[in-house]
Amino acid sequence: MTRQNLGVALLNRLVKPFRFLRQNRKAKIIFFLSLISFPLFIFIVTVVLPVAQNPFEAAAEDETFENFEALSDSTPAEIATGRLELAKKMAALEIDQAFLQTRLELSKKDSIGLVVDLIDGTANLEVKGVPVRRCKILRYRSSGLARRLRRQGRLHQWLAMPFILQEQLATLPKAPIRIKEAPKDTIEANESKGEDLPIEQRDAHFTLQFDRNLTLAVEQAQPPSFSGRLRELWYDLRRNFNEAREAVTALIYLQLPQHYLWIEIELSREDAKAIYRALPTRAGLALRL
Amino acid sequence: MEQLTELNFRKFSVNVAYGKKVMTEETKNNAVQPSALQEVLQNVEKPAEVERPPTKSEAIKTPPALPEKSAAGKALLAGSSLGLFLALLTLWLAPVWREWMFAILPESKFAMQLRTTDIKQLQKEAQRLEKRVAGLQKKHAAITPRLPYLIVDTSENLIHVMKAGEQLHEGVCSTGSYVLLRSAAQQRQWMFVTPRGMYQIRGKRVNPVWAKPDWAFIEEGLPVPPLGSPERFEAGVLGEYALELGDGYLIHGTLYKRMLGMPVTHGCVRLGDEDLRLVYKNLQIGSKVFIY
Repeated sequence: MTRQNLGVALLNRLVKPFRFLRQNRKAKIIFFLSLISFPLFIFIVTVVLPVAQNPFEAAAEDETFENFEALSDSTPAEIATGRLELAKKMAALEIDQAFLQTRLELSKKDSIGLVVDLIDGTANLEVKGVPVRRCKILRYRSSGLARRLRRQGRLHQWLAMPFILQEQLATLPKAPIRIKEAPKDTIEANESKGEDLPIEQRDAHFTLQFDRNLTLAVEQAQPPSFSGRLRELWYDLRRNFNEAREAVTALIYLQLPQHYLWIEIELSREDAKAIYRALPTRAGLALRL
Repeated sequence: MEQLTELNFRKFSVNVAYGKKVMTEETKNNAVQPSALQEVLQNVEKPAEVERPPTKSEAIKTPPALPEKSAAGKALLAGSSLGLFLALLTLWLAPVWREWMFAILPESKFAMQLRTTDIKQLQKEAQRLEKRVAGLQKKHAAITPRLPYLIVDTSENLIHVMKAGEQLHEGVCSTGSYVLLRSAAQQRQWMFVTPRGMYQIRGKRVNPVWAKPDWAFIEEGLPVPPLGSPERFEAGVLGEYALELGDGYLIHGTLYKRMLGMPVTHGCVRLGDEDLRLVYKNLQIGSKVFIY
């Protein structure tokens, strides 16, 4: 059988259960209505409405903003350009100010905090405001929403306070705990002394979900091993499942699903592992982007 | 058909001997000749033609018309099953859809531009902001200790002796093994972890003597002596110096130098002789130790 014939046969087989619709107009209408209604409802509830009620823009609304279109008509082009440059400079300064304020706020806490500076390309661990580990961000990607907020000069309002860690998911355990039963006597103790220490070679991929709708995904730069690849696949599935579960839970409680502004950074395996292991369950994050 | 069956039974009588099929003389003589068989077959009456069900391909070409009620039910079932599948797919891809929606939606022009119509006022505001940012930077820089301090990396088992943000020395250490020691007999357990966070040097000791805690005996399979017993004290195992961090945690030397760089301790920070000497010399009582 040629490939084309096989394709036709497959198509026939797929279409076969729906052939009865040909002769019946009423059945056709019922079929299309039942086909469209549920996905359309889900699309409106999980996509359209959360975008329409964007929490980032709602939080950043500023009453002092005026209508630019009206202004630009009455202002010469050069002044408008100068103002734009100045406004951009001010936006950058406001982000710097928010970032520094957040770091100072973090330094008041006893726990270890994470400072991610996408402009400098660094991710640092800080204890009481003192940087203890500086990690170089090798590559990063961020949500289009971040760029949108930046263009609107509203990013600093969102960055002005430390983000607090809510949930985390990773390919490696938080603490590599090994359980050891106490020996009954000195002979058993001497036997167990000869045991080799396990060398941990786990790949480091993790996702940190913070409050104020921020998700930070950290990927290791080194290619994973075969077992690491499987673990990564499982981790991705769990991550997607968690997102879908969250959306379903929101729908059950008659709420709109949340949209997360995500950032994905790539670090070396050692840096990623050190950061994941060091961060406490309610760690704070200072962010500059 | 009856004729044919009878003929077969008569002419093909088979004797079974020693597990083999053997054709007898009689059967050999009476063996049916192909021409005779054909004759018999021709005489067999052909069955009357009955209405056969349509083949698969014929059924596809001409589907039987369903009653309207049954068709509507079938359509509803098929539509909702497919719809459910599409809905789940939409739910799964909702974050991606939302990202696309944010990308295609129109947005206002640079909103910072709209704050004021007066460019001079904007410039003044920018200057004020610059000063504020510089002030915050100074304030943040002042947090870093001026005196030497120590950073302990439990992930890679390294130490960094720092001064005003600059590294003076880097060395290897050993930190907590993450072993959970369980004693069924005593119904107790210990977790050997180096605690993370900021600590201060609370005391400095030369030629320290180790006051062995209970777990040191249990781990060796030995009976636990009473508190204050001379068996509990051991000299020479902690190296030349020890720096106290509080809660029984120490920075000290070790006899097991080949284990340096590995997570093998009971929570203390073990250093090699040279590194210990340098740390002891640089850190004073009150100096900060950051462990992560």
